[in-house]
Amino acid sequence: MRRYRYFVIILFLLLYGLPKVNAQSNNLIAERKKLVLLIDVNTSKNSIDSILKRAGINNVTAQDVINGHYTALINGGWLLVKKQDNVLQFNFSIKSLKTNPQKSPFSVTESTIKTGDRHGYPDDIIYGVNKFISPTVYQLPSGLTRFYFKGSLSARRVFLSGSFNDWSTLQGLMSKTADGWIIDLKLKPGAYEYKFIVNGNWTTDPGNSIQLDDGAGNINSIYFIYNYTFKLKGYANAHQVFVAGNFNRGNDNELMLTKKGDTWELPLYLREGNYNYRFIVDGKSITDPVSINKTTDDNGVVNSVANVGENIYFKLNGYANAQNVYLAGNFTKWESGKIKLKKSDGGWILPMVLKSGNYQYKFIVDGNWILDPANPCHAVEGGQVNSFLAVNPTHTFKLDGHSDAQVVHITGTFNNWDPDQYLMGHTANQWSISLYLKPGKCLYKFIVDDNWILDPGNKYWEQNGNDKGNSVVWIGQ
Amino acid sequence: MHKSLLMVFLLLLLPWHKGFCADKATIGGISFAEALAQEDPAPSGDFTTLVVPIKRAGNLIIVEAQVDSVEGNFVLDTGAPYLVLNETYFRDEPHISEKQTGGINGEADGTFTTEVHDFNILDLHYSRLTADVTDLSAIENGRGMKILGLLGTRLFSRLAITIDLKNNLLYIHKLDSDGNIPADEEVFHNPILTAPILYMNDILFLNGSINNKSVLFVFDSGAETNLMDYGISRKILKSMQIINRSELTGVGGSKFEVLYARSNNLVIGGQVFANNHFLITNLKEMGRAYDHDIDGILGCDFFTRGVFTINFVKKEFEMYIYNNQ
Repeated sequence: MRRYRYFVIILFLLLYGLPKVNAQSNNLIAERKKLVLLIDVNTSKNSIDSILKRAGINNVTAQDVINGHYTALINGGWLLVKKQDNVLQFNFSIKSLKTNPQKSPFSVTESTIKTGDRHGYPDDIIYGVNKFISPTVYQLPSGLTRFYFKGSLSARRVFLSGSFNDWSTLQGLMSKTADGWIIDLKLKPGAYEYKFIVNGNWTTDPGNSIQLDDGAGNINSIYFIYNYTFKLKGYANAHQVFVAGNFNRGNDNELMLTKKGDTWELPLYLREGNYNYRFIVDGKSITDPVSINKTTDDNGVVNSVANVGENIYFKLNGYANAQNVYLAGNFTKWESGKIKLKKSDGGWILPMVLKSGNYQYKFIVDGNWILDPANPCHAVEGGQVNSFLAVNPTHTFKLDGHSDAQVVHITGTFNNWDPDQYLMGHTANQWSISLYLKPGKCLYKFIVDDNWILDPGNKYWEQNGNDKGNSVVWIGQ
Repeated sequence: MHKSLLMVFLLLLLPWHKGFCADKATIGGISFAEALAQEDPAPSGDFTTLVVPIKRAGNLIIVEAQVDSVEGNFVLDTGAPYLVLNETYFRDEPHISEKQTGGINGEADGTFTTEVHDFNILDLHYSRLTADVTDLSAIENGRGMKILGLLGTRLFSRLAITIDLKNNLLYIHKLDSDGNIPADEEVFHNPILTAPILYMNDILFLNGSINNKSVLFVFDSGAETNLMDYGISRKILKSMQIINRSELTGVGGSKFEVLYARSNNLVIGGQVFANNHFLITNLKEMGRAYDHDIDGILGCDFFTRGVFTINFVKKEFEMYIYNNQ
């Protein structure tokens, strides 16, 4: 009887307790306390690699398994429990799932949901020309931009929401007029995605032909505020003039200039940067006869160059007896004899076009590298202290008092918490520095001599890993 | 003498009165063991159905609201019992009571209860709302969006809400005397499922099944995916296809392991859902926060299958598909 009992138990285990090794080829099965990995070594390497990947085994290849090299698998916690014909069975205890139980769904999914791309912000657009069926967005003489939504006069309210107000559904309340709704905004040149919200419902602009899929399943309207105009004087008898450049992949049949008086013109939005271009006049490609900046490409073709950015004037007062003054900076890879300042009344001066950003520079006066004496803000690169300049800064950090401090640094998420990079300037009773920071959340701290402190002028801060907190500021679009 | 006895008797009864009892509340899965001192007044608003535009941050549902003079983003989070404010922006609000910190339920340091006296979601006005103030920086940092707080279930306890994620709309419905959305205000018709909600500690639970085995789910609009407890029955585990295994890093840097699995046999309210993705991990701590053992959490993977309505008064969950609009 006892023999029968053992027989029954063994039969039961064979039938139900163990996976049927022959029943399936490559497979990964979850059991109550283990994962069961079945590998048929006669299947393709791709298939075996695929099942290994599913099992989270990244350091073992199909060839290892086929060759019988199981050491890495075993070291990874997989136990070879059965080998029958061509099929191997490895078990893995999933007790490890018990470790570090998370306290909220968000803490589980925080790293699994990718939110790297900014949806609804046309960061990648290099150029643009508006195309309206009816003029629903336009520039006012005051410099403001007017958005107009026609009709829906019975609506309780209409909002304008877009990349310019971080897609706020409350900030852009439009005013009712006799035939629609308007709102005037102060916007810088750029590309903007937007929608109207009519009685709560998201609506693209029916008057605007240009729309964009934001990559998250939404279609938005786009409006460009222009910052550059291509101009070609003369050519009165030409029928068509286009401009083409590396900004539009050289498409010479896309951007057409219109004739205004004796000049062909195309105003457009062109993202900050340096671009090569040529005009195409009735099919014939020419350089811009007015542009001084020209460059020759790899094929020997001469192109005109458009520098789009902010006009900056570098100025060094004094040094009347100097022979030469040059400018060097990280914007020219620190080349020392390339950019020469011109002598002017009381000093030396140089106009330059720079993109928005953070820059370091020095003057070179007759071979001597000096800091800009008029600029109290400094930054460090390669161990060298340089003058610091932010073009179109997006935030100014200020720290009142601490006049006895020798040096005050600012550090934060914007520079990976490098404590030495940015030195704030000291004027009157305040330390300050303006930085160009990307839109979004910025955590930061001041370092007064060697003491890391929260910004006493900013009540917003959040806790950090060492319970000392970081100041918080949100940088707008 | 009789009066005194009556007073003593009434005082003894007080803890059992609704809104005074020591509810265990949950904030995004973190529980708070203390009671809300007083039930907040009913909200008001000149509407029958309020249409509120919503936004997304990752898989989170974002609703803009105004608290006092501050406007900003809130996560619509049915995993939270009531209003929760982000400590970063509201730490100076008056403290009504302090929360236990570092306790078994994982309350964040410095968490306290406050009251806000002017809270608005468009036309929906709350004259007073009890709120917890806690650290929500992990959500902000994880999703790159300024988050003022979480909108928990109690805000809607006298209402119904419908979420239409395809059109990014939240409908807030006032209900008739029977607790129904008035017929002429219904936006969607012929639900594909209607399921009773178990409303415990201001958390929504739905009964369902996988592979014919009963499963108790929390319905959490703040959960960015479905979750399943690793200790779920063997029959359910075996029915799921394991897609991947990986080690993740949680908020605060702790490493933990998960399995990604697919199931074709999820049934909620009699409706079969195929191709459901679950993340299998240890939900014990979350169950502790909800004050109830749970088998799983239905999150974004589930609720993006259609438009859904939660009637908080009738305690009913409905789902619609778009051609039934």
